[in-house]
Amino acid sequence: MISPYQLTLNYKLHPGWLEPYLRGLHQGIAVARCCSACKKVSFPPIRVCECQHTSGEWVSLSGEAHIVNRCTGTEGDYALVQFAGADTKTVVRLDNISNADDIGYLQVTQSDQTHSDQTLDKSALVLTSDKNGDNHE
Amino acid sequence: MAQSKVSVCGAAITAFNRRTDGSSFRDWASEAFDDALLMSSLVRQDIDALIVATESDFFTLQLNPASVLASDLGLIGVSTLRVEGGGASGQLAVQTASRLIQSGTHRHVAVVGVDPSASQLSAATVKSLYSFSFDAWTDGITGVSATALYALSFQSFMNRIAVNSDHLGQVTRQNRANAVHNPRAHLGKIHSQQDIDESPMLATPYRRLHCSPLSDGAAALILSSAKHLPVARKTAATIVGMGSASDTLHLGARSDPGHFAAKRIAMQRACADANIEPKDIDIAEVYDAYAGAQLQAIDALGLSNDIPTDLASLRFCKDGGCPINLSGGLMGQGAPVGATGVAQVATCALILEGLYEAHLQPSLLPRFALADTHGGICTTAAVTLLEGPVA
Repeated sequence: MISPYQLTLNYKLHPGWLEPYLRGLHQGIAVARCCSACKKVSFPPIRVCECQHTSGEWVSLSGEAHIVNRCTGTEGDYALVQFAGADTKTVVRLDNISNADDIGYLQVTQSDQTHSDQTLDKSALVLTSDKNGDNHE
Repeated sequence: MAQSKVSVCGAAITAFNRRTDGSSFRDWASEAFDDALLMSSLVRQDIDALIVATESDFFTLQLNPASVLASDLGLIGVSTLRVEGGGASGQLAVQTASRLIQSGTHRHVAVVGVDPSASQLSAATVKSLYSFSFDAWTDGITGVSATALYALSFQSFMNRIAVNSDHLGQVTRQNRANAVHNPRAHLGKIHSQQDIDESPMLATPYRRLHCSPLSDGAAALILSSAKHLPVARKTAATIVGMGSASDTLHLGARSDPGHFAAKRIAMQRACADANIEPKDIDIAEVYDAYAGAQLQAIDALGLSNDIPTDLASLRFCKDGGCPINLSGGLMGQGAPVGATGVAQVATCALILEGLYEAHLQPSLLPRFALADTHGGICTTAAVTLLEGPVA
């Protein structure tokens, strides 16, 4: 056997056109895209709307989301949810939301990154049961 | 100019398993290619192009793997190309090769699909790499796994189609039981429902035994223009329909996250290409990364109007009206990603010629076979239809 190769790759994935959305996640705010033409609201944002228009405005949602489907197990707790005010659904990680609850709230991304350096991490888009707690800056 | 018909002149599949013999993906690719070339009655000098399917350079640790394999396979001088489309890589490679032949510019094209998905990296690392199959800027930043995303998609499917964990168990038992008769299979097993129910819950409703394994392996095809087939291969199966399509990358943007819309479109395109309908399909190899994905595929491909009833009547079992995954599928035969779609087409071609494993070969030669793969949560879909020599 050839000696083990080890790769350590420190990627810095930049936000690009999704910067408002990702900055919102870091602040615990659900920032969606509203199509200028048909007013469909997408969260996560969709660059080209179903109606084919590319222009849109960034809008802040309340951060409350309805749980449509959820899965639990050794892979973690995840759900398909629809944020209030959005016309699309999204996948989130659930943090301490009981099976009896079907509503949750966007949590501030736990990250060492500053807001001026919006790189991606894998701890964003988390839904918690805490509406007004220390999750919102 | 009329398109050239594409025939499967040679087809071969290596063992799919976790290699512990010190061999590398280069050995498996060579083994599959040599066997396919032998079946084709052609020689290396007849090959005009090599199309290679591998999912990730992180698996092979090799940029430009087609150039490496061209050297190993003794194909210096031919045109080479690598095709990647996630889990659909293998079948997209088959379709790319077929288009070269249809164009009339190539007579014989070799397709090699290979991936070392089991023995070179830890399962945790491969799982981590698979998580980059999803939008890293949206779904990916949650840390969600493929299993959890497939589980959420299948739950949406269950909202529309009356299937449950019993049906997942039936698919699991059937595919693994078929694999018992496939000597190349990774997981030929006879499972009881209790075995399945006692396996760990990964992401509801998926338990470990509902999932396909990580495998090493390779598959190869020699595709030929029908008018240039060697005399010894005049009975070769023909590729009569191809279709591919895509869907939105993040699950929540889909109007029905449980519906494999890209697969439906790919199937419609393939059927239009072949001038047949889904009801004409006699056997199918479908993409069963998870037991529920097989049911979602049956729905999207239009292979059933009433899945629970067709499952109850054993329509998709070995002796049913439309056997599915006689090979064992990904769940039973295994899943070296780049090889998967190539192996599906190889399996279909061998069955249509009556050359498949004795215990799995249908007693009556089928006419039409379907091979179906996808990447992501059916974000990229590819469907290929084949016709046997009985036509």
